[in-house]
Amino acid sequence: FGLSLPAVAVLLVALLCLDPHCRVGSAPICAHGPSGCHIPSLADLFDRVIQHSARMHSLSNDLHSEFEQYFLPSKNHIGKIYRKCHTSNILTPNGKDNAQKLAREELTEVILKLLMAWRDPLFQLHQSMAHQQDFNSFSSNKALEMGDMAHELRKGVEKVAEKMRVLGMLGNSVTGLSAAEAMLPLSDSGEAMSDYELLYCFRRDSNKVQNYLKILKCRIVPEHDC
Amino acid sequence: MAYSLSLGLLYLGLLCGNGLVSARSELFTPDPSRGPHFTGCRSREQETFRCWWSAGIFQNLTEPGALRVFYQTKNFLSEWQECPDYTRTVKNECYFNKTFTQIWTSYCIQLRSVRENITYDEACFTVENIVHPDPPIGLNWTLLNVSRSGLHFDVLVRWAPPPSADVQMGWMSLVYQVQYRVRNNSHWEMLDLESGTQQSIYGLHTDKEYEVRVRCKMSAFDNFGEFSDSIIVHVAQIPSKESTFPTTLVLIFGVIGVVILLVLLIFSQQQRLMVIFLPPIPAPKIKGIDPELLKNGKLDQLNSLLSSQDMYKPDFYHEDPWVEFIQLDLDDPAEKNESSDTQHLLGVSRSGSSHVLNFKSDDDSGRASCYDPEIPNPEDLASLLPGHSGRGDNHPLVSRSSSSIPDLGVQQTSEVEETPIQTQPAVPSWVNMDFYAQVSDFTPAGGVVLSPGQLNSCPEKKKEEENEKKIQFQLVSDGAYTSENTARQLSASVPPSPGPEQGYQTFPTQAVEGNLWNGEYLVSTSDSQTPYLLPEAPPAPILPPVSDYTVVQEVDAQHSLLLNPPSSQPAICPHSPNKHLPAMPTMPMGYLTPDLLGNLTP
Repeated sequence: FGLSLPAVAVLLVALLCLDPHCRVGSAPICAHGPSGCHIPSLADLFDRVIQHSARMHSLSNDLHSEFEQYFLPSKNHIGKIYRKCHTSNILTPNGKDNAQKLAREELTEVILKLLMAWRDPLFQLHQSMAHQQDFNSFSSNKALEMGDMAHELRKGVEKVAEKMRVLGMLGNSVTGLSAAEAMLPLSDSGEAMSDYELLYCFRRDSNKVQNYLKILKCRIVPEHDC
Repeated sequence: MAYSLSLGLLYLGLLCGNGLVSARSELFTPDPSRGPHFTGCRSREQETFRCWWSAGIFQNLTEPGALRVFYQTKNFLSEWQECPDYTRTVKNECYFNKTFTQIWTSYCIQLRSVRENITYDEACFTVENIVHPDPPIGLNWTLLNVSRSGLHFDVLVRWAPPPSADVQMGWMSLVYQVQYRVRNNSHWEMLDLESGTQQSIYGLHTDKEYEVRVRCKMSAFDNFGEFSDSIIVHVAQIPSKESTFPTTLVLIFGVIGVVILLVLLIFSQQQRLMVIFLPPIPAPKIKGIDPELLKNGKLDQLNSLLSSQDMYKPDFYHEDPWVEFIQLDLDDPAEKNESSDTQHLLGVSRSGSSHVLNFKSDDDSGRASCYDPEIPNPEDLASLLPGHSGRGDNHPLVSRSSSSIPDLGVQQTSEVEETPIQTQPAVPSWVNMDFYAQVSDFTPAGGVVLSPGQLNSCPEKKKEEENEKKIQFQLVSDGAYTSENTARQLSASVPPSPGPEQGYQTFPTQAVEGNLWNGEYLVSTSDSQTPYLLPEAPPAPILPPVSDYTVVQEVDAQHSLLLNPPSSQPAICPHSPNKHLPAMPTMPMGYLTPDLLGNLTP
C-alpha cells in the first residue's frame, strides 16, 4: 500500500466531515459556487418544510387509523379518557389566534422543541413495531419512515431558523435549539407508553407542527392572502 | 331504575372506551329508544364547535334547562364547567366559541340533569377530530370538448373553498371529492380526491343530463363535510351521422381490396409459394450414379456401376454371402471346421494323403458351371469353389473363410484382379475381386477355366507341417496362365530352411497381396520338373510377397513360366533368396493374357 498514514487520516476525516452535511435536505449543495446554483428563498424553504410536515402528519394518521382498525383499545382504557402525552409539558398555543399572537421566536422554539421531543420515542416506536408479529412490515416501515421524516424536519426547521436569523427576522432569544432535551415518553403512572398511545400523541403533535409552520410562514413571508 | 342506570353506565363505559368521540353520523340522529344522550358535536372551521343532545324517551326533560351540559378540558384544569352558550335559536345545542375552543385538547362533555343530579351521557373528543368542513361554493362547469362522433364530451368543473375555512393561511388544508350521476339515477360516480379547486370529468354522454356535486374534508382526517348543491350538466347532441358513414364504407372497401390483392398474389405466385412453403424432398443420391439406372438398370450394368464406385470395398467381399457359401458347400463335414484357409488350401488337416493336385480330376462340377454361357450367379460361382473344395482334402485351394480374408491385404489388387476374369465375359467382375481363381482347365478356344482361389497369409502356413507332400506340378502347357506364385515357386529352388512346417509351404506362404493364386498349385503331370519342385516339406515359407501380376519373361523348356521377380513389395513373409531365378530383364508389370501367353510359348 502506497498510502501513508497521514493521507489515510486526512481521507477519513474528510469522509466523516462530509457525511452529516449531506443529510440536510432543504438546500441543494452548490458545487459550483454561489453563481452556479439557485439558493432558495425563505418562502421556498418554508414551502418545503411545510410540505414535509404535511407528509409526516399524513403518515402518522395512516398508522393511527391502522392501529385503531386492527387493535381497538382494550377495555382497560375505559378509565383513561384523557391521555397525557409526554409532550404535554411543552406549552403550545391551542388555537389559531393564540398561535398568531405568539412571537416568531417562541413559535419557532416550540416547533423545534416538539420535534426534538419526538426523536427518541419515534425510534422506540419503530423498534417495538418491528418486533411485533402483529404488524406487517409495511406498518413497521411506515414507522421508520416517520421517524426519519421527523428528524429531517427538525433539521429543516433549524435551517429555516438559521436563515431567519441571518435575515434579521428573529431575535437572538432563540435558545431552544440546544436546550431541547429529549424526553422519555412516560405516562402518568410512569410506565412506558404503549404503541397506540404513542401513535395517538404523535398524530396530534405532527398536526400541531404543521399548523404552526403555516402560521409562521404567513407571518414571516407576507403574502397577500395571509 | 337501577337497571336502566346500570344500562346507561354500561353504555357510557363502552362509549368512553374509545377514548374519544369522533362525531360519526350515527351519533347525530337522536335515538328515541334511549334516554337523554348527545347526538353529536361538530366543528366547521376548527375554531369553534357545537354539540347537540336529545332528551330521548324522557319526555319530562324536554323543557329547556332540565338537561345541562358540562365540559372539562383535560389540560391543567380539571373542573367541570357548564356550557358557555346555549344557542337560543336552536334547541338543545351548546355552542363553544373561539375563546372556549382549544385545539389539540381533549374535551369531555356530560349531559346532566341537575335536578336529579344524574349524568345521562358523556363524550370525549378532541376538536380537530370532529371537524366537518362546510361545503364548497361556486360550483360551475365548462365544456372542454366534444368527441368527433358527437356522442361524448368532457367538462371541467370548478368550485371555491368554503368561506369559513381559512385555507389561505393553511389553517385548514382541504381536499375535495366530486361526484356525478345521470339524473334521477341512484348511483353516484365518485372521482378521486382533489386538492385543487377544479376537476375534469371525461366520457359524459351527450343528450344526457348529469348531476354534479362536491364535498370536502381536511386532509389527513376522515370527516367529510356536507355536499354542495348539485349542478346540472347537459350537452345537446349534434347530429353528425355522415361523418361515420364514410369511415365504415372506406374500411369495408379497404378490407375487400386487401383480400382481393392477397388472393391475386397467391394465385400468381402459386408455384413459388409452393416451393417456399412445401420444399421438395431431395431424392436419394449416390454420387456418380444415375438414380434412374438404379431404378431400371440391368443387373450387369448395376454391377459394373457399383464396382466402379469407391464404396465397393474389398471387405465387402468378406461379408458377401456367397463367400460363406463356399464353405457351406463343403461336402465333407470335416472340412467345415474352423481350420484356416491355408489348411483348406493345403488340405493338410484332412488327410495324410498326398497332395496331389490334379485339377483334371475334379473339374467335373465346377467346370460345368463355368462353361455356362449364362452369366453365372454368385451361387454358381460359389459352386466353383466348393467344387474344388469338394475334390477332397487334397485340394489345397478350398475356400477361404471370410475370417482369413481380413488378414490379406488385397485391397490394392482388387481392381486389377478383375481382368483375369474378363476372359469369361459372363462372370461378373465383382466375383473376382480379392480372389484368385485357380486355373483348372483351358478351353479349346484358348480361354482359361478358373476356379476360385484362396489367399493365404504367412502365419497360417505353419499349420501344414504334419504332412509331407509330394507336390506334383502339372504345368498346363497349352498357354495356361499360371500364377506368379507358382512361378516363383518354380523359380525358387529350395526353401531356405526346413522349418517345422511340412508340405506345402512356399506357395501358401506367399504374401497375400497380389497373390492371384494363393497356394495354388499347378499340377504338373510331368515329373521332369523336379528342379522346381519342392520334394519335401520345406520349412517356414518365407517367400516375398508377390505382386498381382508378374510379367512372364520366358517360358523354359519345361513349359514353365519364368516370371519377373517383383520389384519392391512389402514383405509380409521373410524373403527367401531367389537363387535360382535367372536374372531377368525387368519388364513393365503388366497383365499377361492367355493370348500373350500363347505368344510366349516356345
